[in-house]
Amino acid sequence: MSSNAPTAKHDKANVADSKTTEQPLSQDKKPAALEEDDEFEDFPVEDWTEEETQIPNGNAHLWEESWDDDDTNEDFAVQLRAELKKLGK
Amino acid sequence: MNPFQPVADVETRLCTAVNAAIQSWNAESLAQIVQIEPPYHPDEEYQELIYSLQNNYPEDDDSTEERLEQLIKQIVPETEESEDADGRPIQSWSSLVTFLVNWMAFLRDVDPANYLEVYQRLKELLEQANSALQHPTKGILMLPTIMSYSNTFAKVAMGLDKQPELIQDLLEESMSEEGQRESLPEKAANVVRQAFITCLNDRNTVPGGIKNGKPDGKKVGIYKMANICLRILQQAEKPESCETIFRNIMQSSPPLGIYPAAERVTFLYYLGRYQFANTRFYSAQLVLQEAWDHCSTDQLYYKQRRLILVYLVTSNLLLGRFPTENIYQLAEAEGFREAFTPITQAIRKGDLEKFRRITKLDFSHPASSFLLRHRIFYQIGNYCEVLVWRSLARKVFLVTEMQDQDQEEELTMQFGDATKDKKASSLDLNTLLHAFQLLEGRAKNKNAAVSAQDQGPGRRSMASVIQGLHTPSKPKYIDPDFDGVDGLVPYDHEMDMLEMESISSSLITQGLMNGYISRSSLRVALSSISKRGGLDNAFPNPWENAKSRNSDDVLGWKKEAGSETAGLIVHLSGARPVGE
Repeated sequence: MSSNAPTAKHDKANVADSKTTEQPLSQDKKPAALEEDDEFEDFPVEDWTEEETQIPNGNAHLWEESWDDDDTNEDFAVQLRAELKKLGK
Repeated sequence: MNPFQPVADVETRLCTAVNAAIQSWNAESLAQIVQIEPPYHPDEEYQELIYSLQNNYPEDDDSTEERLEQLIKQIVPETEESEDADGRPIQSWSSLVTFLVNWMAFLRDVDPANYLEVYQRLKELLEQANSALQHPTKGILMLPTIMSYSNTFAKVAMGLDKQPELIQDLLEESMSEEGQRESLPEKAANVVRQAFITCLNDRNTVPGGIKNGKPDGKKVGIYKMANICLRILQQAEKPESCETIFRNIMQSSPPLGIYPAAERVTFLYYLGRYQFANTRFYSAQLVLQEAWDHCSTDQLYYKQRRLILVYLVTSNLLLGRFPTENIYQLAEAEGFREAFTPITQAIRKGDLEKFRRITKLDFSHPASSFLLRHRIFYQIGNYCEVLVWRSLARKVFLVTEMQDQDQEEELTMQFGDATKDKKASSLDLNTLLHAFQLLEGRAKNKNAAVSAQDQGPGRRSMASVIQGLHTPSKPKYIDPDFDGVDGLVPYDHEMDMLEMESISSSLITQGLMNGYISRSSLRVALSSISKRGGLDNAFPNPWENAKSRNSDDVLGWKKEAGSETAGLIVHLSGARPVGE
């Protein structure tokens, strides 16, 4: 099994402004199985109190805002470094 | 009951019940009488009504309508002109009479299995109900009826929309001036929107439309009706048509905060989806966070919470704010870890190859089914890309800085301090281009494992070279229009310096990189990198950047009383008394 075997698959969705889209949308093909959007069901009750919501335990830390990875010894950085070194930079 | 009084016919009995419901101001009870959808409750009563109407008030008799009208006027005196308790005149409610006549005709004529007929007749009936809603005082009693009809109407429209062969003629009629066809769900939403507008513009309320902290008069129906319209438009994938509703709300609605929680959360969900669809991710995030915070935690509403969370997490991710373990551990976040962590990892590291594999258009990555399922594939692929660019530029800077330092140390050892390099505060575009080309090239290789081991020419294992494993899969797509033309070579995109400059300037314009491009030396001079904050000055925090570039005001989210057009709201809390 070789990886350079011909691939018959065409791209099935259209991302018009992606610079790396190598294969534009083939007109006769629709995106693979785009299911119906999930319906947001009606609530059977009208109201509830704040105690019954997320607010009482609202201070949970939900988001990470500083995630920059300064590690130059992780695999990706090491490989990148090796590659760029070859440029003599 | 008086045993000597003859038993009234079924039409009279129903009209008597209608009159009693209006008299006792019971809108729910009115809605329960004017049912349109089988199974009816109680069924025998409605079957008797249908049978009686067909025999005594047949469709093909010219006098039927007039006789029914007379009957209703007689049995439902609440439709007559009258006076309220203070002696002020109350105008007659003839639109209710028309509505009731047509409701009976609907029951008599319409075959519930004939969707097209149901759609057309229900549309007329709903329009008449909307007219009845406009009565200044009594109109409000129509609200539950209109909500129930609108829900049925929406279902019918959505169902018919999937059977284009049935609705060909209907659609032909609805060509707009621009030659665009209005879809059936859009037409349905327009009918429902009438009721929304009536509620919104109710003049028969206290000024401001808020009484004892609650919406007054028909304003109580604003979000109930808006939510039905928004659901239809969302399901019909017409988010752009929602905008008018949000603009109307900003203009005339009391603040969202005084409405019941269920209405608020539902509305905020649709508003969030609308903002998301319009790539206003910061607004989407604000709105969906509010929806999440105020949604009931009852396990019955797991599905609603999960849907809110999908778009809340995605909006945040697109703005450079990643979900923490606290989110991944939520029951509602099932499957999120598998879908989102490959993306966040690729963004953190600047691993463009991995990112391309996740967002590859053959949907071969395991995360792609989740992303497609929730219609966030395109957004992730397009709007997270800049975050990957930023991290890659940052990493290339870090890595080359290390190399420069190594070189410096060597040179210093040989020649002393004199050779101190000034390059450390700039990013070489040739190096960056090389990194981009390398990763884009690897991403084209179908086999991720081989690609990962690829150390470049000269370092590949002999076996893998012989097998040709490093050959990137070449693009093969040729547009069908050009199929068979000799000598056509499919376009194979290769990054060049112009694109590198474009990417760098894009990062600078978006506030994700601080500096300027020197085209003569092909470098990006990074700002304030030697000052306090260092690298963070040159590559600002994406989330902080998004926050500083966006407003907390969201179109459609009415937070305070007052009209947008009435000018600015003046807060006097901080004002000092005259003379101080």
